[in-house]
Amino acid sequence: MSGAGLRQSQKAATRQRVLAAACDLFARQGYEAATVRQIANLAGVSVGSVFTCFASKAEILSEVMKDRLDELYAELDRVVPCLRGSTAERLRSMFAIHFAFEQRHIQLFLAHLAAAYDWTLGPGATPYGRNRRFQELILDCLNRGVAEGDVDPGADLLGVVDLLRAAYAWTYRLAAWENAAVDQLVDAMDQQIGLIATGFRPR
Amino acid sequence: MKHVTPTEVTSEARVKGPTRRALAKLQTRNKVLAAARKLFSEHGYEGATIRDIAAAAGMSTGAVFANFTDKSDLFRDIMVSDLTKLNGEIREAVSRARGVEDAILKVFATGYAFYRTQMPLARAAFSVSWAPEDGELFHKMEPLAEVQQIILEQLTLGVERGELSQEAEVKLRAQMLWEAYLANYRHAIYGGWTPEALQARARDQIRVILAGARRG
Repeated sequence: MSGAGLRQSQKAATRQRVLAAACDLFARQGYEAATVRQIANLAGVSVGSVFTCFASKAEILSEVMKDRLDELYAELDRVVPCLRGSTAERLRSMFAIHFAFEQRHIQLFLAHLAAAYDWTLGPGATPYGRNRRFQELILDCLNRGVAEGDVDPGADLLGVVDLLRAAYAWTYRLAAWENAAVDQLVDAMDQQIGLIATGFRPR
Repeated sequence: MKHVTPTEVTSEARVKGPTRRALAKLQTRNKVLAAARKLFSEHGYEGATIRDIAAAAGMSTGAVFANFTDKSDLFRDIMVSDLTKLNGEIREAVSRARGVEDAILKVFATGYAFYRTQMPLARAAFSVSWAPEDGELFHKMEPLAEVQQIILEQLTLGVERGELSQEAEVKLRAQMLWEAYLANYRHAIYGGWTPEALQARARDQIRVILAGARRG
């Protein structure tokens, strides 16, 4: 292997170790309390080499989430075209898949939400609320509803996306504060979807 | 055991007036709060340290801790005083509302206008609100519970006036309106939306949430 090639593979290995350590720390301590120094210690690398791979703590978290979410979206890409039923039913299925996917990583997801308001966000970070695929997925579902006639074509669809997104984030508080199990989260979300759906039905 | 009741304290204060020491303490407290407000706005909650806040206020960290137990206490103090003021404005605005939809819109719009000039502080607050430990403490602050109560009251009034059906699930709807209200701040913080743009978005969202509860 050439010198440059070796350096590349070392860098890739460091990157993977940092991501694994960060995933663990963020889940245990939350986003704000975990420091880059702790991440470096746990990964067994220097703080300096963390910064050769990532610009900031926010970027580390968004890479952790991105790797995980790629998996989730790959699953949704397979499942969503096969979903049947009304728009509300399809939304319920989509969010139930989200909760099932995140159920063992609730603390990490909360860290992801907290990071959305972090001061040190660099351009490389994708915090909650700025994930295009999440937004497009919901928007596609609503547009299909418009085409199939159960969503009012005059409805402010982006406003509806925001409502669903707010409801989804809020529902995680049940897990954080009341230790709600995943089926309780799904129930809470189903109720909110039902209520939003009565608001976007054609009149 | 001798208890000093609040009435005794006030009556004593009325006679003698606040002592010089009490005044000095109040001044220190206000200086700390002003410095903290500035630093939280510039560096966020995590980025501002008690040490920096003390330095900016021109005093020792010991003097800061004489007034506040910790940073989280200091931050909550700022939020409580702002939000208490905001709630007064909200109640005033709501009293002039025409109908339930307008009342809820006034709650939202008053908040967005209030924070227009202090978005960085709002951003710091959102970051704290999702933190594992401080988050729950933060959400239990009295003035935050009060806004949610105002929203619930307005929906209940809507039912009593016959604008909303008896079956309207007012609690769930109030909670969702509250979530929507908070979530829209993101557009102001990152997208630079004006209070007017937020209000236009909020108007549609309020309609969606209340649609199923409308009578007839």
